[in-house]
Amino acid sequence: MMSTIKILIVDDEEIIVKLLSMSLRSDGYETFSAYSGQQGLEVFKSESPDIVITDIKMPGMDGLELLKKIKEIDPEKEAIIVTGHGDIDSTITALQYGASDFINKPVRDDALAIALERAKTKIALRKKLKDYTTNLEIKIAEATEEIRRRADFQKLLIKSSHDAIIAFNHEWKVVIYNPEAARIFGEAPKDVRNKMTIDELYTPRIANIFKNQFRNEKDKKVLPWKENIIKTKDGRQIPVRYTSDTIFENGQFVGTVNFFQDLTEIKRLEKELVQSERMAAVGQTVSGLAHYVKNILVGLKGGSYVVDVGIQKNDTEKLKAGWETIKKNIKRAGDLTQDLLTYSKQREPEMETCSPNGIVEELTELLKDYAISKGIRLTKELDTGIGEVMADPKTIHNSLLNIINNAIDACIEDENVSKKHEVTIKTYKDEKNMLCFEVIDNGCGMDDDTRKQLFTPLFSSKGGKGTGLGLLVTGKLIEEHRGSIDIETSPGNGSTFRIKLPYERPKALDIN
Amino acid sequence: MMSKKVLVVDDDPDVRSFVITVLDENQYIPLVAKDGVEGFEMIEKDPPDLVILDVLMPRGSGIRLYHKLKTTEKYKQIPIIMFTGIALNSFLKSQKVLDEFKGGEVPEPDIYLEKPADPEELAAAVKKKIG
Repeated sequence: MMSTIKILIVDDEEIIVKLLSMSLRSDGYETFSAYSGQQGLEVFKSESPDIVITDIKMPGMDGLELLKKIKEIDPEKEAIIVTGHGDIDSTITALQYGASDFINKPVRDDALAIALERAKTKIALRKKLKDYTTNLEIKIAEATEEIRRRADFQKLLIKSSHDAIIAFNHEWKVVIYNPEAARIFGEAPKDVRNKMTIDELYTPRIANIFKNQFRNEKDKKVLPWKENIIKTKDGRQIPVRYTSDTIFENGQFVGTVNFFQDLTEIKRLEKELVQSERMAAVGQTVSGLAHYVKNILVGLKGGSYVVDVGIQKNDTEKLKAGWETIKKNIKRAGDLTQDLLTYSKQREPEMETCSPNGIVEELTELLKDYAISKGIRLTKELDTGIGEVMADPKTIHNSLLNIINNAIDACIEDENVSKKHEVTIKTYKDEKNMLCFEVIDNGCGMDDDTRKQLFTPLFSSKGGKGTGLGLLVTGKLIEEHRGSIDIETSPGNGSTFRIKLPYERPKALDIN
Repeated sequence: MMSKKVLVVDDDPDVRSFVITVLDENQYIPLVAKDGVEGFEMIEKDPPDLVILDVLMPRGSGIRLYHKLKTTEKYKQIPIIMFTGIALNSFLKSQKVLDEFKGGEVPEPDIYLEKPADPEELAAAVKKKIG
């Protein structure tokens, strides 16, 4: 229901104003009267009527002028113009000024009623529209607030994420760069966001990974998690896990999001764990170690006894034999100490230019005579294409020495004496760009149980003659060299030990 | 009185030279074998008065040789001194396994010497068994 409608009646003829006013009041309207344009304007301002009925011809400010002013103040007010008969020009002007209707003089009740009804309908419509608009505005405001709230939440998520999140637009410009990203990459957000490109933020190696993903894997949009070392511009090296997602909209490339997880702490813990496991292993098997030390002691005691006898009897043969025993056991004690030290200490490989084939040559030269004395043929198959590489020659030397010695032992232990025993050393580069060494023997081989215990600290299949540290030390050296070791064996047929190391040319290809 | 023959079965040349020296010094005749297989061959050829036997050796361990000798009528009377780094309990356990596997039951060794042993200790053990 509309509240009482207020009507302002303006006419210089007082009698007309009064008559109209009476009539309208009796119809339930509230009326205000004015007798000139000027007065009409004032009343309009103070009472703000819904409808204005005004005569055109008035002295001073006429109806048209008043209409103009009213519409200036509030274009939504309804104005009904009262014109003299045939005053077409004024009527048109009034309509141009925004009058909603006009009636002719003399004002007839029925014509006025119709005009008022039309004005009322208009007012009602306008109110409806206004209510509707207001409602819509409220709804839009609410929706906007909700969107803003969600965007804020997402911003907060990105901001507080433990992953570094970096997004690029289609021109490879940084658009998202969260605090964790700033921590890892060391560049302040204000210098990066909307300023840097992927090539400015990342080192070329990392940048290319993501750019190539876009080029090569349009179909596979999500990169699986991978690990890598990031070298930041300020020279820090950070181990990370990363993935990337390429974003397309309607088939158009719109950008890339990269996620990085800092693995520094995890790597440190892993290292600590390995170290403590290693120490625990050494601790737990001290008895095994004591056994080996005891054997050395047996040798030393026995040797010194033989020397004593040699001295008493002036027997050079005895002296020689005893002295040999003592020397041999001093070496065993030395080797054991060396193995223990190597095993318990962290060591970084000392990379230098070296020739893997050269090392194999040296070793075969060193072990040839010993092998022949045991009836074993030592052969080599070397890939001459390997040439020189960046590697730690000590790691290669010690690992191969240990494994070749094991291979020779496996031939000596073999109960099948009719076999022609042979140990072959191969070098080659595999399809994954790994430098491979193979030591192949046709000795006694191993059963599954022995095979499984090979890298158990102080496990030895050689009775009292092994420290149980040899392969353990070898395994550790290879691991530190980012390599791997694998074994194929079958009881009675022999074993193949395969060492793989990353193949690196002397001049580093990676310019980072 | 004729010197008695003692067979040393050990794969470690250092141990062999030590034991031989001890035997020499105490007027026994030392015989030498490098493993269980060779040891048994020598016993078959020329049975000694005593065997000094190591436990862990390639090609026919002392565990097997001990069991074989103690379950062979012809040789079961030959006294054996076990001379080894392995604890007695482990040795006895391994003999039990062989008992079940090969049949028969072997006695515990008369003398079980753990390495390292003093020359006097070893000489006394030999003397105790064969004088």
